[in-house]
Amino acid sequence: MTMLRSREISSASGKPRPKRQSSDIIQPSTPARKQEPGAHSLDGSSPPTNTFRRRSPCLESLNGFTDKEVSISVCSKRKSNVGERFLSLRSGKKVAKRCDGIEASGSEIDTRKSDVDLGSEGKKVCVDLVEEETNIVSKELDNSGDNALVRRIVNEEKGKTVMDEVEDSCQVKDVEMKCVEGCEKLSSSVSRRKYTREEKAKGIQVVNLSPPITRVGVEEMEIDNSIDIQNPPEASVTESAVNDALNQNGNGSRNQHFRDFAEKNASRFARFDAEMEEEEELSDEEVEQQVEDWPGPFSTAMKIMKDREENTILHDGIPFSSDIERTSPIIWAPRRSDSFTSPPRAPSLQELSMRVLVKNADAITSLDYVPDALRVKLCQLLCDSRRMDVHFLDLLVRGSPTGICVPDCSWLTEEQFTQCFNNCDTSNLMVLQLDQCGRCMPDYVLPSTLARSPKNLPMLSSLSLSGACRLSDVGLRALVSVAPAITSINLSQCSLLTSSSIDMLSDSLGSVLRELYLNECQSIDLNLILTALKKFEKLEVLSLVDLPSVRGRLLREFVTARGEALKQLILTYSVKLTDSSVKDISENCPNLSVLDLANVCKLTDCSLGYLANGCQALEKLIFCRNSFSDEAVAAFVETSGGSLVELSLNNVKKVGHNTALALAKLSEKLQILDVSWCRDMSDNALGYIVDSCSSLKVLKVFGCTQITDAFVRGHSNPNVKILGLKMDPFLDQLTKNLADS
Amino acid sequence: MEGFEFIIDREVAMVSQTIRSMLTSPGGFSESKDGVVTFPDISTTILEKICQYFYWSLQYSRGKETEFHIEPELTLELMMAANYLHT
Repeated sequence: MTMLRSREISSASGKPRPKRQSSDIIQPSTPARKQEPGAHSLDGSSPPTNTFRRRSPCLESLNGFTDKEVSISVCSKRKSNVGERFLSLRSGKKVAKRCDGIEASGSEIDTRKSDVDLGSEGKKVCVDLVEEETNIVSKELDNSGDNALVRRIVNEEKGKTVMDEVEDSCQVKDVEMKCVEGCEKLSSSVSRRKYTREEKAKGIQVVNLSPPITRVGVEEMEIDNSIDIQNPPEASVTESAVNDALNQNGNGSRNQHFRDFAEKNASRFARFDAEMEEEEELSDEEVEQQVEDWPGPFSTAMKIMKDREENTILHDGIPFSSDIERTSPIIWAPRRSDSFTSPPRAPSLQELSMRVLVKNADAITSLDYVPDALRVKLCQLLCDSRRMDVHFLDLLVRGSPTGICVPDCSWLTEEQFTQCFNNCDTSNLMVLQLDQCGRCMPDYVLPSTLARSPKNLPMLSSLSLSGACRLSDVGLRALVSVAPAITSINLSQCSLLTSSSIDMLSDSLGSVLRELYLNECQSIDLNLILTALKKFEKLEVLSLVDLPSVRGRLLREFVTARGEALKQLILTYSVKLTDSSVKDISENCPNLSVLDLANVCKLTDCSLGYLANGCQALEKLIFCRNSFSDEAVAAFVETSGGSLVELSLNNVKKVGHNTALALAKLSEKLQILDVSWCRDMSDNALGYIVDSCSSLKVLKVFGCTQITDAFVRGHSNPNVKILGLKMDPFLDQLTKNLADS
Repeated sequence: MEGFEFIIDREVAMVSQTIRSMLTSPGGFSESKDGVVTFPDISTTILEKICQYFYWSLQYSRGKETEFHIEPELTLELMMAANYLHT
């Protein structure tokens, strides 16, 4: 109760008074100063406090609460000064915007109180209870201390103080409505609310804050001074302490005064209540989750970043504008001279000869002794230029090949397929890729070709039949029955396959299969294949692109069962997933190195938090059209982005300088970065990234119209290839693995 | 093919990563000491073409951007040799 508080102060005021006055004298030039409310102090010190504002009373004596004077009466005088910096609350009070070095009236109070409130140094907006304060103060000189105290407390509670010099304690506890003293009913509700806000607030208080806030009153001292906002009990401690003190106090009239005051202001607080309550409801789930999860490095990083942002914003006194340069702390200058441009690199002989080969593919008579890697490359080039034909396929199939990789079989007819594979010796075949074979692979061709004998494909470990749209469960069963050693199977876009195929796979290959790709298999329902999926003991790669049946509950079941071994999880277009799914993934898949969450639009910043805390080994992370904030992405990169080799932030529109800073700082391994459509990435930001990420090979900037030559010609990284600039060709870059080029 | 010897500039030979590492690797290998590298698997014609490529590549990086013609019948072997030599 306020009474208690006031009692404390008045008793204490006896002691500190002399000190106070000396401090008054000593620091006449500092701005707002806190004064202990007390009749004497008020009288004597009002004038000085009115004129001077101490920057950071807290700094002067960290724990000497008695030294601090809380000035409450300055309000009116200071009103003009701080006018522009104050926002008007509905109640007519003014709330100081955060600005460095500014202490609104009661700011000192606030600063001190802030400690009390939650031990949280948060930004506190100073509530400038201007007129009322002065009025009340002047009216009740006797109890002015008390009222002032109340007021102060109210201020503090309500306000966010600006801890100017002190690195702003970023916890944005908006209005600290914790009326510990006085306004009991309010206080309880308020403080409760406060807590939830605290809890909700990301992370712990900024540790870099030295406890600058001095304590006012004994009760404050008792209150946990630590930077631990997550302690709900604090409020109760405070309150109980206060109450104790109050009880000691025998001054009933003071109590009465406070009560009156409290009742008077209850309605005002009530309005705040509504506001805050609304917000609370909305983020209830978040609250729960936050409470469960101990805030880790991610949340700290986020906090720091957010506060840094707000610092900058408030310092400028204007809201964050789209002028990124202004608030961007990145300093990067494009290099002046051209002395560094790399000399034109001659195309390799291998490349040159391959080009000629492709042109004259029909003249090739044999591919003997050509290693598999070269065969694959040749095939790729041939398919790309539509020169692939039966002749070449015959060459590939001749002998006892170990690998047949044709990325595009759309030209192949059923008869040609049958002819080619009729007598193909597949006893050594390890890799078979016949993508886009829909035209040539209905069920009935298989028994005479690939599945013609029970042990026809004994060594086959990698099978890719994506696009086999005429292949049904029967055909697949026939094929898999002759290939018992398959470790990787790609059945993307096989629209006729149903869950019984997966059952069959789990029966025959349950103990060996490591990679399963089921992208866009429309007839497969995740619900029905869940049991089968759980049977795969060694599954490392699971790709479920664009399957509408992928839902949070199902995913949770799967990852809880098999998440340990999962290394790659591709969930593009799984639009029904939410943050809780990412939480499940991060908790159950510690070895995850590739995660694709492109177009999973419902994800929020919490997902990044979960990933940061859970998946520490991520190497390839694909985001697209996820609505993450700049700070969240930056915090994620800082906390666990060190192992990233490929990162896509395609259309994650809010990324900007924070992310750039984080990337530059921590991503030595980064090779491929996609910031297409991220229009907040300035030339400076990109230049900084490119120059700092020494391993960067590919930077994709499609849609980044804000980039100018200053970056394109001004960066100093000789190895990076920039894709997506206006008018630049890029089709030849669309190879499977950009990092190889 | 045995018996044929091509003498080329050291810098030119370094275009090939394989040759470069052969000539510069520590350990006192005869290649680095004598500056002689043998390729028993590569035929003369191909080796000759490769040497021509080395010179062409160096000129290219110095600004003279011309075209390097390859006879089609050589391409397959050339491609394999180039793959082996990392060039």
